[in-house]
Amino acid sequence: MDIYRDEILDHARHPRNRGKISNPTHRSRTPNPLCGDMIDLMIRLEGKNSWVKEVGFEANACAVSVAAASMLTEKMKGKTKKELRRLREEDVVSWFGGSLTPSRRECALLPLKALQEALAVRQAHRPEPSRGKGGEEK
Amino acid sequence: MIDVQRIRSDFPILSQKVHGKPLVYLDNAATSQKPAEVIEAISTYYREYNSNVHRGVHALAEKATQAYEDARGKVAKFIGASPSEIVFTRGTTEAINLAAYAWGDQFLKSGDTILLTLMEHHSNLVPWQLLAARKKLNLEFMHVTKEGFLEEAEETIRRVKPRLLAFTHVSNVLGTINPVQNLDKVAHSIGAKVLVDGAQAVPQLPINVANLDCDFYAFSSHKMLGPTGVGVLYAKEEILRRMPPFLGGGEMIKEVYLRESKFKDPPHKFEAGTPHIAGVIGLGAAVDYLDQAGMGNVRAYEEELTAYALKRLGELEGLTIYGPPSAAQRGGVVSFNVDKIHPHDLATVLDEEGIAIRSGNHCAMPLHDRLGIVASARASFALYNTTSEVDVLVEAIEGAKKVFKV
Repeated sequence: MDIYRDEILDHARHPRNRGKISNPTHRSRTPNPLCGDMIDLMIRLEGKNSWVKEVGFEANACAVSVAAASMLTEKMKGKTKKELRRLREEDVVSWFGGSLTPSRRECALLPLKALQEALAVRQAHRPEPSRGKGGEEK
Repeated sequence: MIDVQRIRSDFPILSQKVHGKPLVYLDNAATSQKPAEVIEAISTYYREYNSNVHRGVHALAEKATQAYEDARGKVAKFIGASPSEIVFTRGTTEAINLAAYAWGDQFLKSGDTILLTLMEHHSNLVPWQLLAARKKLNLEFMHVTKEGFLEEAEETIRRVKPRLLAFTHVSNVLGTINPVQNLDKVAHSIGAKVLVDGAQAVPQLPINVANLDCDFYAFSSHKMLGPTGVGVLYAKEEILRRMPPFLGGGEMIKEVYLRESKFKDPPHKFEAGTPHIAGVIGLGAAVDYLDQAGMGNVRAYEEELTAYALKRLGELEGLTIYGPPSAAQRGGVVSFNVDKIHPHDLATVLDEEGIAIRSGNHCAMPLHDRLGIVASARASFALYNTTSEVDVLVEAIEGAKKVFKV
């Protein structure tokens, strides 16, 4: 089955960059309106050219969305904000080797949608909650 | 007795292959397939006597009008009502909206309460949200137990004292058959009116609205072997007579002057504009088909099939089934989840094997919230499904577990 070929399944079962990152500068929680799946994409851009220092995601989503998020975040590393803006739907679709039906296409494009929404709004810089003596978060 | 192989031969669409495999259509809660008789009835209408209804005196117009009103009579008889209590709409959703606008706007006032349930389809939820916003009403909800039954339904009705109780006869996710007659009795005893969403029930159970004693009953043609674009709102005659119009226009008027009009009696009062004549005629043919099969036989067959499905699915490891444990308590709808496989992915893998199931929230987001999940997979049966198809489903789920290595 093309859509679930080994490479895609690997990304779905062992997603790269899954997890929270500290002090994201850009973030978006984006739902898939067709099914309620949700992706939380966090990016930290730094430096003069605003390049991707760190990226992470959390997802309550199907294998196609998770695999797409894993592949997308890998591609994002080290890119500048300008280069991130140039990532297109056709790029994502090509990673699935043309095996996406129209409805599953929405699943694959969810992480890219989250990226575009995250770039549109700059997150206020918030320090991570520090731990008190007893180990409680402030 | 259902002769399922003979029935299957009546449905042209079932003989096709999908991805090289025989079609196994298990998405009947979304829409049902159509027997050749229904397809023929619709194309014959267009080929031989297409004409606008209720207005012409020529031969074709008379024939079309007769066929249209005959269908109304058939639908009425099918659910134990009289023809003047059958309003044709676009579907269940429009039927419920009709009740919300033409009855709700008129008879509910600020501060009144509408009692719904957590297991409602969005079409029996959103119209009431809109009405509540328009009229400043309260919305309350009956809870659903872990097994998928309404929790303390009668007590809730007595405690909340709604002016309207609206709930589903058969849940399109859990399959739960709700005790309509009992709830109607309790609701009426405290002066509430009752609207029942019968979209999933009419294709599966013998329905008699006089026995159920509900004030409104809504259902869809396309879920009961009929064409899309047609639905029915049944309402008691005395209620329809007191309701103002829903949509205004031609067909529902007696006399029209510049600044006012006189309206027809129900049901025509609520059927503005040229109706989906072909669709209603098709629905009539669907009723004929179901009548011939016998709804008692349909229910007996589907109950057995559902019991088989529950048993076989229950044997699979890592599979969670939602809703009542026994087929006697549910219609032919089985929603479930397989551990570590998202319903979309499961549905895609099953599609590769020619199997059509549905995945998502099935237009019941609050219910999925209550179940603590975002989405589920759903297999739903009709009188043309077989136990072999259930076997194919189970095998394919086992195959999916291998694909995803769970």
